Amino acid sequence: MSNSVISVISRFLEEYSSSTPNKLKVVDAYLLYILLTGALQFLYCLLVGTFPFNSFLSGFISCVGSFILAVCLRIQINPQNKGEFLSISPERAFADFLFAHTVLHLVVMNFIG
Amino acid sequence: VAKPLCFPCCVSAGLLGWFLLSLALAGAQGLTPAHHLSLPDVARLQSLLSQQFTDLESAYYSVLGLTKLGAAVSDHKQVCRFIKSQLDPTSIDSVFFAAEASQAISGCEIPVSNETRDILLAAVSEDSTMTQIHRAVSALSSLGLPVASQEVVGALTARINKEDNVMAITSALQTAARLSKQAELGGILEEIEDLTARLDDLGGIYLQFEEGLEATAMFVTAAYSLSDHVDMEPPLKEDQVIQLVNSIFSKKSWDSLAEAFSVASAAAALSNNRFHVPVFVSAQGPATVSHSQPTLQLLVTDVMSQPLASANVLVESAYAVASKSIILNQAPFTLNDGVFELNFMSKQPASGYYQFTIAVTGDSRLVANHVELKVKVSTEVAVANMDLSVVDKDQSIGTKTTRVDYPSKAKSSFTADSHQNFAMSFQLVDVNTGVELTPHQTFVRLHNQKTGQEVVFVAEPDSKNLYKFELDTAERKSEFDSISGTYSLYLIVGDATLENPILWNVADVVLKFVDEEAPATIQAKTLYVPKPEIQHLFREPEKKPPTVVSNTFTALVMSPFLLLLILWFKLGANISNFSFSPSTILFHVGHAAMLGLMYVYWTHLNMFQTLKYLAIIGGVTFLAGNRMLAQKAVKRYVS
Repeated sequence: MSNSVISVISRFLEEYSSSTPNKLKVVDAYLLYILLTGALQFLYCLLVGTFPFNSFLSGFISCVGSFILAVCLRIQINPQNKGEFLSISPERAFADFLFAHTVLHLVVMNFIG
Repeated sequence: VAKPLCFPCCVSAGLLGWFLLSLALAGAQGLTPAHHLSLPDVARLQSLLSQQFTDLESAYYSVLGLTKLGAAVSDHKQVCRFIKSQLDPTSIDSVFFAAEASQAISGCEIPVSNETRDILLAAVSEDSTMTQIHRAVSALSSLGLPVASQEVVGALTARINKEDNVMAITSALQTAARLSKQAELGGILEEIEDLTARLDDLGGIYLQFEEGLEATAMFVTAAYSLSDHVDMEPPLKEDQVIQLVNSIFSKKSWDSLAEAFSVASAAAALSNNRFHVPVFVSAQGPATVSHSQPTLQLLVTDVMSQPLASANVLVESAYAVASKSIILNQAPFTLNDGVFELNFMSKQPASGYYQFTIAVTGDSRLVANHVELKVKVSTEVAVANMDLSVVDKDQSIGTKTTRVDYPSKAKSSFTADSHQNFAMSFQLVDVNTGVELTPHQTFVRLHNQKTGQEVVFVAEPDSKNLYKFELDTAERKSEFDSISGTYSLYLIVGDATLENPILWNVADVVLKFVDEEAPATIQAKTLYVPKPEIQHLFREPEKKPPTVVSNTFTALVMSPFLLLLILWFKLGANISNFSFSPSTILFHVGHAAMLGLMYVYWTHLNMFQTLKYLAIIGGVTFLAGNRMLAQKAVKRYVS
């Protein structure tokens, strides 16, 4: 049983490192970073308590929001999805990413207190 | 245990019939005057009118006002000289005041020249104001000069159409009263009814013009003056007359001579006209009779407090308020030195309140001549058969009964402890008739001589009107705070119909309670002493984690960034493709500025300022970024 799980995981990692373009791997690294930051914030909240609640929320939502936007960027710049995003060039995707981040950070900064 | 008292029932069908009739009469009767000119009011009015006058107008008001009140004008010769000296023969007003005033005092003749007469006659036209017509006609009439009545009527009718206000029409009524009876006064007479419709009804009690007291009073004077002149009853209902009386005589101090004069004129008109004379009935002193004061005395006067000597006053019916039984029927009052008297005590009424319906007859002009009056019959009370005893709880038979007579005190004191009850019984009787009474207040007061504490109980009568009071020491110990000791026992009897309320120290009672606490002097309740201060509890700040923990986690949260840099390095991410075109540089600078703005927003700014700066920086960054990305796209397509 555990054998098959391990073999699936190693196969997945192999496929991932060989067939994923570098650009996407960069974005994936960024995603991992955001994930870890958010998880650590959540862990702190669980351990110590929610005071001050607004700051915790803004930090956590910043992580969640950034993760989502980065995922959107990854989907849009993936060459394999080009057929579905004919009107959106990678540059356009990146520009959207930046604009959305501006709005997100405005909200986060407002809420951080 | 209190038992309800039984009321005596109505006596017979005959009385019941009269009772219903008197009720019907009571319902049928209208208002009675709430205000009139009492003798002090008349005196005040007279003194106001007697003030030294400075000009002809005030002389006119003073002289005529005093004449109407029936008072004497002092020093006629001096007044006459004054009038003659102040007279201006060319002014209608001056001639009017002089003529009217001189007419009121004897032996004063005003010489009239032909010019004056012509001026007065010329004023009678529809081009003059109503006041001028009134004064001219009155002056002519007072001076004995002929007046063309029909012409005057024509002028008045024309003026009424032009001057529609209350004072003008009142002046027209006054003028018409000075004209010949043969003239056509019907049209002007109808104005009384029109003016009556313009009166304001206030709460069903007052009826007055919004122009004020003077207008209302002059209207009443003019209406009765004209009605008497043509001998036709004015279209005023009895209730309206009383409401007018209330309005005119409710004000007891007057602002001006003109106002005082109008009130005096109205008072004279209402006490002496051919149709309506309002009657004012009041008791002299309090409406109370008793054995020492057996007669009920009534003052029956007109609105000026002048007694109506020709009137007959009788009690149509009188019934007891408590039992509704009729006690008097068609009993006449006798006139004694200006006061109407009735010996009510001769009917031997029981003490209490009686409702009298009084009728004043003898003159068909009398208005509001049915009056309701509440009369009190008071009496003296005596305490009889006061028996005090101490009863053992186990046996209900008393050990010893002591009789105490009012007002002496029992010689020995009574002792009651928790096994015994202290009992008291007595009767309250009317001194004069021997009838048992049940006054409103029958209290038993126990007063501790040492501590000053007092406890009051109510003594209640049983069905035979025998008062009983029982003190169960065990049951009542909470009222006494279980403080044993000697208590003075007082009996308190009081009622509105008793002339001799009783406060009687009957005996001393020694009470013994179980579970006695240390007798403390009773202090007055500390209600008005400063209360303890309330300390405000501020909101506790929330518990914060220790700084070590926070710092650790801050470092921990920063650590993934390090991981990111390592991963990116391993993946070979670089910035070797960085082109130094102006748009690229501008974009990066702008972007950095936006991030810096976020920090400044967190520390210093509010949303509006931030949005303003963001718009500027963002705009620049957007344009530069657009350029830069377009260039990159081009480069990608080419390669």
